[in-house]
Amino acid sequence: MSRSMLTVEVTKQFFTKNKPSFALDLSLAVGPGFTVLTGPSGSGKTTLLRLIAGIIAPDRGRIELASKVLFDSANRIDRPIPGRHVGFVFQNYALFPHMTAVQNVSYGIKSGTRSEKRDKASEMLALLHVDHVALRTPSELSGGEQQRVALARALASEPEIALLDEPLSAVDVETRGKLLDEIEAVQQRSGIPFIYVTHNEAEAERLGQQRITLQNGRVVEAKVSK
Amino acid sequence: MIWDALKLSLLVVSVATAIVGVIGLLFSYLLAKTNFRGKEFLDAALTLPLVLPPTVTGYYLIVLLGRRGLIGSFLYDLTGWSVAFTWQGAVIAAVVVSLPLMIKASRASIETVDPQYEMASFTLGKGRIATFLRVTLPLARRGIYAGLVLAFARALGEFGATLMIAGNIPGRTQTMPLAIYEAVASGNERQAQLLALVLTGVSIAAVYFTNRLSHSEVHG
Repeated sequence: MSRSMLTVEVTKQFFTKNKPSFALDLSLAVGPGFTVLTGPSGSGKTTLLRLIAGIIAPDRGRIELASKVLFDSANRIDRPIPGRHVGFVFQNYALFPHMTAVQNVSYGIKSGTRSEKRDKASEMLALLHVDHVALRTPSELSGGEQQRVALARALASEPEIALLDEPLSAVDVETRGKLLDEIEAVQQRSGIPFIYVTHNEAEAERLGQQRITLQNGRVVEAKVSK
Repeated sequence: MIWDALKLSLLVVSVATAIVGVIGLLFSYLLAKTNFRGKEFLDAALTLPLVLPPTVTGYYLIVLLGRRGLIGSFLYDLTGWSVAFTWQGAVIAAVVVSLPLMIKASRASIETVDPQYEMASFTLGKGRIATFLRVTLPLARRGIYAGLVLAFARALGEFGATLMIAGNIPGRTQTMPLAIYEAVASGNERQAQLLALVLTGVSIAAVYFTNRLSHSEVHG
């Protein structure tokens, strides 16, 4: 097994109207490179991403990213979201509607003057081939363009891992193949691990050198590249 | 008398609206985005002046801030100054009665901002304050403007609580609504008419702007 970048060992019980509804009991390790996370809807894929990002907290367990502890119930560690350095591409992108594409991307850039940030944001947009929409607001962008801007924004913040929650679900079929190639290329360039959630079998097959499958809140299959 | 009242009203209302804007946003944020013990109580206490007769609100202000009041006596011993019968007293009365209107509008607006945007901001390394200022506030701005306009209009019309804590001293604490009362009481028809017209105009403008702001609520 390759050196793992991320280890997750957590449990969480969810409740609906005070009754236990869904239980998550996950144990997994993710290596560098591209990892596809699949499973039927409701199996806990998005929840896993949110646990890693710190948007929700597990009941018990430990999450470690690049030998940095993000969460550890035994030692009462729960690093707040901004300190986790996790790039998140939300399913509906969550681009800030009151900012242009380039403002969205420069928002997460941590150091530099205003113009340096802007230059770096423009570079990121160019890398994802959306520099021509830099001055448009999200409502003026197509699904594919929004997806690219969202990925550019996540990567511009220099995260240690990128989490992509079904990023192509709102993109038309023709654009998908091209975007998949680009996402793979961007992953290689960035050098950080990507976790890519999809329940599209074709996408999973194509991307999945490393693949983790969830079912009912548990890992049922883990294929990690050598 | 008209110009004195107008000038004083503008001073009192602009200071009050500025204060309401700052503390109203603070309370709106606390009520909309956080959970803490006593939240229900705080919410109720801040809403109370909306339903209390203003004279009752004014009475409580005297009990709290008057020269012999709970806080006021302390302040008076310390500085020899009291807010009673000053324009600052009128500002406090205006703040207390108009704050609930600001909070109602801005809190509702802040609550409708999709938390996903805030989550996105956190994952981009921004803390709570930066996220509030750069994401939540701009997305909730229409409700906030509407709240400010309503608070401004309410502060401008404030009568009862002002009369109780600040009195009705021409040139010092006599705001426009008080001046109207005095003009009518002393049979000065023309002056009452003029003041009433000015206040009506401002109120119509306030309603117009709040309607425009709430109807063009587009961002979510």
